[in-house]
Amino acid sequence: MAAPVYRKATLVSRKENPKGYFHLVIREEQIAQTAGPGQFVMVRGWHTGDPILPRPFDIVLADPLKGVFRLCIKVEGKGTRLLSTLKKGSSLYVTGPLGKSITEFDSSGTALLVRGAGAAAVVFLAETLTKLKKPVFTILSASTKSRLVCRALLEEFSNDVFIATDDGTEGYHGNGTDILDQLITEGKVDTVYTCGSHRFARHVKALDLAGKVKGYLFLEGYMGCGMGDCHGCAVKKDGEDGYFLVCMDGPVFRSRTVVVDS
Amino acid sequence: MRVSPDLSVEIAGVPFPNPVMPASGAYEVDEIHDNFFSPSELGAVINKTIFLHPRPGNPPPRIWETPCGMLNAIGIPCDGAEAFIWDKLPNLRKLGPPVVVSIAGETMEEWIELSELIESTGMADLLELNLSCPNLSDGIPWSTEEKTLERVVSAVVSRVKLPVIAKLSPVVTDIADMARTAEGAGASALSMINTYKGMAIDIKRKRPVLGNVTGGLSGPAIRPLAVWAVYSAYETVKIPIIGMGGIDGPTAAIEFLLAGASAVAVGMYNFIDPFTMKKTIEGIRTYLLEEGYSSVREIIGMAHTRA
Ligand SMILES: Cc1cc2nc3c(=O)[nH]c(=O)nc-3n(C[C@H](O)[C@H](O)[C@H](O)COP(=O)(O)OP(=O)(O)OC[C@H]3O[C@@H](n4cnc5c(N)ncnc54)[C@H](O)[C@@H]3O)c2cc1C
Ligand SMILES: Cc1cc2nc3c(=O)[nH]c(=O)nc-3n(C[C@H](O)[C@H](O)[C@H](O)COP(=O)(O)O)c2cc1C
Ligand code: FES
Repeated sequence: MAAPVYRKATLVSRKENPKGYFHLVIREEQIAQTAGPGQFVMVRGWHTGDPILPRPFDIVLADPLKGVFRLCIKVEGKGTRLLSTLKKGSSLYVTGPLGKSITEFDSSGTALLVRGAGAAAVVFLAETLTKLKKPVFTILSASTKSRLVCRALLEEFSNDVFIATDDGTEGYHGNGTDILDQLITEGKVDTVYTCGSHRFARHVKALDLAGKVKGYLFLEGYMGCGMGDCHGCAVKKDGEDGYFLVCMDGPVFRSRTVVVDS
Repeated sequence: MRVSPDLSVEIAGVPFPNPVMPASGAYEVDEIHDNFFSPSELGAVINKTIFLHPRPGNPPPRIWETPCGMLNAIGIPCDGAEAFIWDKLPNLRKLGPPVVVSIAGETMEEWIELSELIESTGMADLLELNLSCPNLSDGIPWSTEEKTLERVVSAVVSRVKLPVIAKLSPVVTDIADMARTAEGAGASALSMINTYKGMAIDIKRKRPVLGNVTGGLSGPAIRPLAVWAVYSAYETVKIPIIGMGGIDGPTAAIEFLLAGASAVAVGMYNFIDPFTMKKTIEGIRTYLLEEGYSSVREIIGMAHTRA
């Protein structure tokens, strides 16, 4: 896997969709050329002492020919608010690509079960699987219709996209995990990736432990460096003592190997 | 043509090609760092503190950002001394710069056993005793109580020939007293400072943020405190000081040198800009050229009024 670079990069475009989520397209050729599905970047758009640390974001898509990559950022606190106000042409400092790229694509059918900013994490994987002509079924969940994230991209790279909303404003009125269970019963998927909801993570882990699917989690965790220097991003191992580092051993983990917070 | 200034310094008889090194626990030498700069350009290299036996480290959350700094409660996870000696130490050794090995013990016996073990590898140039982590059975760091500090430093010094650096905690009444105690016990150099104890509280959960409740504060937030610690120790001891605490580039590093540090270490800023140490080395060189000094050694301690 290519070692990460630290570069001053340029913001090519910024678009809000849906409200509170910003798609940033960033020019940095080496990252665009070496990034793989599952990898992330550490981003700093400031020279301040507060915020001071860079922030981790998944690489939504990378275009090696154009030398650009895309992030989808949900405004949460200080850092993401600053990033959401950057003007086109602004400079950002990026380190990446970081984390392990997903390299196993031998499933007969893959389900992507995502909610909120978690949708951003799986687009690259969906694109890769589609290029390999592997079936992809996406279950995109949100509180309401207007909060569905990365919808157009996921529709482009999935055989089917199932929408689930908590209030029933679109698609299935209820829990996205019901749709997943149905897909498994129909024999369409043997592998599941999930991101963006603890409830989803617990459900996928239970299915994995029951031997019904191979379950994978995209994990988040407070990060200082993103590259193994600080040991800040620990997640507890399941079945043995000790911790993994999300930035070095992940961010994607087989669900049965890690403890999922309740 | 102007001659490039001499950046070399000496710590306890060991020549450092330049005065900039990583702070323990904040920089790894591995392939992930290959595209940044070569660690062979550093003044010295150092490992994250190791204990004799493997330890898992603290439960998450382990870090928390604060204004101009961060709290950490990593808890020094490590695979134990054997794994370090086989897997990591040879990689540090072959880089070129002097190798500082940072160690800590949970008991007096462990300090001694680990020191002797590291010396026996022949791969270390200096031994740094991380006396500033709260892992003593009664929860008090080794370097916050003069008698304990004296006991552990003199025990290690009496057993090994390697020069010993005592890394001090700033969470004391007067760090200059601790510096004098470490010197008296036979330490050949001091590393100042480790982090300040602090905490943050999540106002929604109404609980401490960190899994370990408290953590150590590092970063530019502590820099003036660290500069003062170095300055006051320099007035008190003759052994060289490695200064650290919030160094984010050459200006901060030069502050420490002027305060009396013979070398400086960069901690959390490696997370923010992985080129910080390289930029610091280059910036010190430029400063010396601009200010007309031929050696970095000329400016060490210059901020003191004494002649
Ligand atoms: C591997 C990884 C990939 C991620 N990918 C995305 C993504 O594609 N899109 C997206 O919107 N978000 C993503 N996140 C979460 C994102 O990093 C946080 O929302 C962001 O750091 C919040 O920063 P802030 O300054 O706005 O929040 P603040 O609350 O002000 O941040 C304070 C500190 O807490 C950390 N922090 C706060 N929330 C989180 C969180 N959920 N996860 C990790 N650290 C956090 C910050 O990094 C910072 O150090 C990802 C996190 C990780 C670890
Ligand atoms: C994440 C983190 C881990 C650290 N781990 C260690 C350690 O293992 N041993 C040690 O002696 N100091 C450790 N330190 C302290 C640093 O070496 C340094 O003394 C302190 O952080 C001040 O420097 P800074 O402000 O440049 O970070 C750690 C600091 C941080 C931020
Ligand atoms: S974020 Fe620093 S080790 Fe993972």
